[in-house]
Amino acid sequence: MTGKRLKREYPLHLLVLPSFVLALLFSYGPIFGLVLAFKDFSVVKGFGRSPWNGFDNFDYMFQLPDIWQVVGNTVYISAMKIVAGLIVPITVALLLNEVTKNVFKRWVQTLIYLPHFLSWIILGGILIDILSPTSGIVNQFLGVFGVKPIFFLGSNAWFPGVLVASDVWKEFGFSTIVYLAALTGINPALYEAAVIDGATRWKQTLHITLPGMTPVIVLLATLSLGNVLNAGFDQVFNLYSAQVYDSGDIIDTLVYRLGIEQAQYSLATAVGLMKSGVSVLLISSSYYLAYRLANYRIF
Amino acid sequence: MVHSSTLPGRLFRAANAFFLLALALLCLFPLVNVLAVSFSSSTAASAGMVKLWPVGFNLASYRFVLQKPEFMRALFISLERVSLGTAVNMLLTVTLAYPLAKESVKFRGRTFYVWFFVLTMLVSGGLIPWYMVIKSAGLLDSIWALILPGAVNVYNAVLLLNFFRGLPKELEEAAFVDGAGHWTILWRIFVPLSMPALATLILFTMVGHWNSWFDGMILMNTPEHYPLQSYLQTVVISHDLSLVTMSDASSLAEVSDRTMKSAQIFLAALPILCVYPFLQRFFIKGVVLGSVKE
Amino acid sequence: MNKRRNKWATAAVPGLLLLAMTTAACGGGNNGNNANAGGNGDKNASNAAANQTANNGAADAPTVDPNAKYDPPIEVTTVRYTDSSFKFKDGESLDNNAWTKAYESELGIKVKNKWVVNGEGNQYNQKINLTITSGDLPDMFMVDAKQFRDLAEAGKLEDLTALVDQYGSPLTKEMIDRGVNAKAAASYDGKLYAIPPAEDYFGGAPLLWVRADWMKKLSLPEPKTMDDFVKIAEAFTKQDPDGNGKPDTYGLAASKDVISGYPDLSGFMNGFHAYMNIWVKDASGKLVNGNVQPEMKTALAKLQELYKDGVIDKEFGIKDGGKAAELQTAGKVGMNFGAMWNPLWPLQDGVTKDPNAEWTPYPIPSVDGTPAKAQSSADFNAFWVVKKGAAHPEAIVKLFNFYNEKIVGESAEPAVYHTDNGIEVFKYALMAGGFGTPQGLLTVHKNVMDALSAGDAAKLTPEEKSYFDKIKLFQGGDRTNWGTNKVFGENGSWAVIGASYSDGGLLMKNEFFGPPTPGMTEKRAILDKLVLESFTKIILGAPIGDFDKFVENWNKLGGEQITQEVNDWYGSK
Repeated sequence: MTGKRLKREYPLHLLVLPSFVLALLFSYGPIFGLVLAFKDFSVVKGFGRSPWNGFDNFDYMFQLPDIWQVVGNTVYISAMKIVAGLIVPITVALLLNEVTKNVFKRWVQTLIYLPHFLSWIILGGILIDILSPTSGIVNQFLGVFGVKPIFFLGSNAWFPGVLVASDVWKEFGFSTIVYLAALTGINPALYEAAVIDGATRWKQTLHITLPGMTPVIVLLATLSLGNVLNAGFDQVFNLYSAQVYDSGDIIDTLVYRLGIEQAQYSLATAVGLMKSGVSVLLISSSYYLAYRLANYRIF
Repeated sequence: MVHSSTLPGRLFRAANAFFLLALALLCLFPLVNVLAVSFSSSTAASAGMVKLWPVGFNLASYRFVLQKPEFMRALFISLERVSLGTAVNMLLTVTLAYPLAKESVKFRGRTFYVWFFVLTMLVSGGLIPWYMVIKSAGLLDSIWALILPGAVNVYNAVLLLNFFRGLPKELEEAAFVDGAGHWTILWRIFVPLSMPALATLILFTMVGHWNSWFDGMILMNTPEHYPLQSYLQTVVISHDLSLVTMSDASSLAEVSDRTMKSAQIFLAALPILCVYPFLQRFFIKGVVLGSVKE
Repeated sequence: MNKRRNKWATAAVPGLLLLAMTTAACGGGNNGNNANAGGNGDKNASNAAANQTANNGAADAPTVDPNAKYDPPIEVTTVRYTDSSFKFKDGESLDNNAWTKAYESELGIKVKNKWVVNGEGNQYNQKINLTITSGDLPDMFMVDAKQFRDLAEAGKLEDLTALVDQYGSPLTKEMIDRGVNAKAAASYDGKLYAIPPAEDYFGGAPLLWVRADWMKKLSLPEPKTMDDFVKIAEAFTKQDPDGNGKPDTYGLAASKDVISGYPDLSGFMNGFHAYMNIWVKDASGKLVNGNVQPEMKTALAKLQELYKDGVIDKEFGIKDGGKAAELQTAGKVGMNFGAMWNPLWPLQDGVTKDPNAEWTPYPIPSVDGTPAKAQSSADFNAFWVVKKGAAHPEAIVKLFNFYNEKIVGESAEPAVYHTDNGIEVFKYALMAGGFGTPQGLLTVHKNVMDALSAGDAAKLTPEEKSYFDKIKLFQGGDRTNWGTNKVFGENGSWAVIGASYSDGGLLMKNEFFGPPTPGMTEKRAILDKLVLESFTKIILGAPIGDFDKFVENWNKLGGEQITQEVNDWYGSK
């Protein structure tokens, strides 16, 4: 029985093997580095001789005066980014799906993927220009409707929103691609049948297209939970200023500034470990919830 | 999808087209800005005068960048990295996704494996041990240092296993009855049926390899072995103006030259920008239908 | 042996061929001295010959010959960085250039780069940290202050004190002894563990830069006092100095970093005898942090007023230096505080763009009868050290001797070692950073000025000559060389620095220059955020009374502890 089973399944193990070995070496190999989170690491002393310091690195982090505001900013910004980063690409994929002219569709698809390739340094400079309260095009446009100029990048009320909107702007086209791929997998026969039943396009979208995309959506939504403590270092670092520390300082920028004075590898490891813990917790609980409640395996 | 020709239907399509067009233009804007700056005179660019059209049109920056031997050399290394890296990544992604797409009943180790791999996405040991592992594997200063450590892309494999799962079971079962093995089924049935998904992942992988710069900088022993983005990193980073000395000041004028930066950014993005339009032809609907039809 | 060296010599690039072959052909002496017979009229060879004579004279003394060439050649490993300002001739690289060839042919030292990284700051730091941790240290390398202290403390470095005494050339000793604070920073427990960085307190001190053509157009007085300054700033803002009929100009440039080389509001604060981010002596002789002194409150209140009046860009708080420079280049800003190099960037861009634009530097104007002192920090962050147990620890001194000799010594060969057809060859040398002239850039300025008035550039060092040539071009009407003229020429940066900061003594040095104290390591990031945030908010209009709360917070969050540590360091210095 087991022998037979093994015989049937060993080719599958064999297929996994190369990836398994590589992951063991290059992903699990460096895991020993997590001990740094519990050491007072100095590059000169190295792994072995750096003294243990228990939970000091964690204590230090949590005793920083602004830490809870920073954690709050991080979660707030990243949660909004996660939600917007799901809704916008899905919507755009659905809208593109409604376009009948293929040439137009391809052009739009290509153009919306362009901003992904520009770095935040470049986009940061461009954003300062277009969002300027005195000369920026956005405020000039709003002025037409009688809106008073808004200092988007210098106001704590607007700054997180600007981060989310500009992040979506940069990435939605790229993220749309995977949903477009999911759309191609939907059986056209289903649509034909629906039309015969007299379903409107809206109903088709609701009952065929969206369910067809659900596995991918659920998967990507679950995986994005792993980023709940990553609010986007490059972006924030290039856009924030002392004026918006209250709403824009995030864990990664804080750790970066803490590390300028010295290479704070221990602190960075401790923060990384904490982030990993949160990610594992969130992702595994959604995995088991989906399995228990809907008998569905997300991955 | 079947479209109606009713008035509301046409209205919707017009509004939709208009909206998508506006969205596309919004996304085109930053690249046009970069392009306009790259063709402008450097004083106009550093005065922030260039918006969507070059001011003081000239080609000097392109001439300068393309004459640099470093640029071309780095470009070739990038191309080597992308082709080699994408091939290795995709091979592993496909061979990993196939067994993991099986039901737990059919492949008992599945759930263990899935978590084994997913955990690698969530936990990492940090920079120093990562470097030391690669160093002791003897990979430093070789192109394989840029390929092997990231060769297993779990995110892509998990996406692909989701697509594999969506394929009709009948095909696989029929092939089994005909005596085909896993290897044949994978390459003859799963892969051809998943072209849109594979095209997407190929794109993601290529872009990922193209854009990464940190590993090149850390793992290569000389800038002559840098891929393009590692080489460009020093051009693109912002400078700490509090530590400038006289010997940096003259070069500061040079590195703050935006036309040069923009030309390099544009040239560096160009090859990879061209990949997507070519991959788009794999996004054809109804592949599955065609092959399942009796 | 000779054969092998000859073979090497024929492989050398033409520029060095003559020199290398001479060396190879003549360098067979038993003591390994590199060139014993001049004969070819080469300045270097005759100088080396002179040295040798001196050494031979003392041949019986137990002292080692500091100029001896290694025979057979030795290999020394190191690590390097490049950046986009490094240019190479075809086929050359950091592994193969005029310097590496000369190191081998003249000193018998093969310098091997274990790695080279592109990027001097973060990138180099990351790699050197990884290298230190993995234990694979090169023989000699450059570290920052923190790494230096850790390595010295752990006993991983060679003590260079005796080696510098024994092998150092007079020029080398002069270079090292000139920077008293730099030398102290490179020492640990009273021993010298590194070739210290060059000490330069003038290069970073703020000057006041004023649009001279606007000042003339609006018939304004020169900024001698803070009142004059404010008058000019207001006029530049409100009296349409660019004559376009729009109120779109600003009196004073500022950026979100508040202080940095450009634009640098610390210059403004200095006018109020307030000093940002540096440690100064108070009346009782104790070191105190400039950020929390009452003078700072006054300075911030005035900045707030100027901001409210529209003298400062309303959006300065989100712009970095590069972005702030756009306004200035576009001809919208009339004044800024900033370092001596500002004419090269960003002022040059605006001058190239607008044929009427002209900038003049002034010393910091004072708010009262006491002349203002410009603040200055010399950040010692580049220490060349030798790994403990390196086979030839003295090689670093010889390499440094050679550098000094070839750049500013009697036998300097500018075309080979400094600048070759516009390519800055000197950057390839080890320990090149910051050194160049024994007395610093102030001397460069004086020499250039002398040469200009005499019309004779023969006595100039290569670096000076390059400035001289550019100034000549400027005088001939080439405005793209305006910047160099404004730094070194008449009424330029160094003219002001020389008269006011050097001769007038109007410089406030940061009294703390040790490695970061434990309190700094732990708390400084928090305090920096607090300072930047509080100052920015006050300038933007927060009640000035918030300053007192800030001082209280600063002390509570670690400022008090750090002040104590800094004073302990000062006491033990």
